[in-house]
Amino acid sequence: MAMFKNITIGQYIPGSSIIHRLDPRTKILSTMFLIISLFLVDSFWGYGLIGLGIILVIRASEIPWKFVLRGLKPLFVILLLTVSLHLFMTEGEPIFQIWFLKVTREGVIRGLMMGFRLILLVVGTSLLTLTTSPINLTDGIESLLKPGKKIGIPAHELAMMMTIALRFIPTLLEETEKIMKAQMARGADFQSGGIIQRAKSLIPLLVPLFVNAFRRADDLAVAMEARGYRGGEGRTKFRELHFSKIDVIAIAIVAVSSVVVSILF
Amino acid sequence: MIPNASKAKSSIFTTSSMVKIGMLSGLGMVLMLLDFPLPIFPTFLKLDLSDAPAVIGTFAMGPAAGVMIELLKNVLKIIVRSNTGGVGELANFLVGIAYVIPLGLAYEKWQSRKGVAVGCILATLSMTIAGGILNYFIFIPAYAVVLGYPVDAFVSMAAKVNSSVVDLRTLILFAIMPFNFLKAIIVSVSGFGLFKALQPLWKMN
Repeated sequence: MAMFKNITIGQYIPGSSIIHRLDPRTKILSTMFLIISLFLVDSFWGYGLIGLGIILVIRASEIPWKFVLRGLKPLFVILLLTVSLHLFMTEGEPIFQIWFLKVTREGVIRGLMMGFRLILLVVGTSLLTLTTSPINLTDGIESLLKPGKKIGIPAHELAMMMTIALRFIPTLLEETEKIMKAQMARGADFQSGGIIQRAKSLIPLLVPLFVNAFRRADDLAVAMEARGYRGGEGRTKFRELHFSKIDVIAIAIVAVSSVVVSILF
Repeated sequence: MIPNASKAKSSIFTTSSMVKIGMLSGLGMVLMLLDFPLPIFPTFLKLDLSDAPAVIGTFAMGPAAGVMIELLKNVLKIIVRSNTGGVGELANFLVGIAYVIPLGLAYEKWQSRKGVAVGCILATLSMTIAGGILNYFIFIPAYAVVLGYPVDAFVSMAAKVNSSVVDLRTLILFAIMPFNFLKAIIVSVSGFGLFKALQPLWKMN
């Protein structure tokens, strides 16, 4: 049973393109600009321009189209449903009619627009995770949250816990699979029975998983304190984030163009 | 400089607790990947045991840790892979903390099996009610905006599998609330089972 074989954690594709080298904060902020302007824009011209911008970024990132479009796969059903709902349910000037399904001009327009919006939203946001490693992303989030420290947002602590979680997800996945196989070899059955039965049958899997997780956590905590870890105050970093000239230019371009597109269209 | 001076404000930010919270959030992500859809419910409601780490974290370190685990699990999910535009993660977080907080408070009051039993019952009720209210006022309308659906689309999607659904209110009553109730029952059953087995982990220290 190879249940975890094709689960990949994160979608990061390593590379050295100009987009990869941008500061994670630049990319996070640009993604936010993109999301906001996608919700403000309401015309084909607007979506076309945003789409063109996204295509340029994809070309610059040197990420193969295959990986960019892969993100759309889980969306396929939702996309189909959205477009067809708008196609058939919108009232307006009818174009043609198949049996009881009436397609209207307004329906075609709304359906296509919503379809474009969804595609651009998913492709645009997945560019962030495709070109930024989870660790860099976490560093970026930490740095962006730092001003929130005054109102009590524990930026460093959050980032530290996220880093630990990211680091141990692959380890824990592997361990889950190992324990599952070990318990199945002893006759455990995870597949049959009702919902409650199945939840109960997972307990022999969860108990060793939790015991190991706690043991690992204790080891790590001791190791960290032995090396002098004592929170974020005055801590130095191996990887430091730097805003370069390119970052400033990139963020200026994104900000100006999204404001212009949102206002004009 | 006193090493713990900056961390004294809150006990969940000691090195040991932070590492445990991080580890349990990672485990929550792993368990989220094991999710199985429910046969009689609409497809956008899925069941998973990813709340179990938050429950264990609550027993070991109190309700604040449980809330933190729920938060991190969902932020990580947005980073790693998300296909509901963040709305699903926000829903999972809020419904999750509606379960964890009453459980943690009850357990802090009675640190025994009785506390866990009372906590599970309160938490189940809280999660069911919170799920209903949040879906009615926030999540279904939010999905409608993100995906551009009319709200009726959800109703007709649910009506296909459950004939007693006729409008948004009955959708909440007959599809969302039973789902959250069932989810809470499952979390409670596994949480109680895990509590019995794992107690030594946090009673030691």
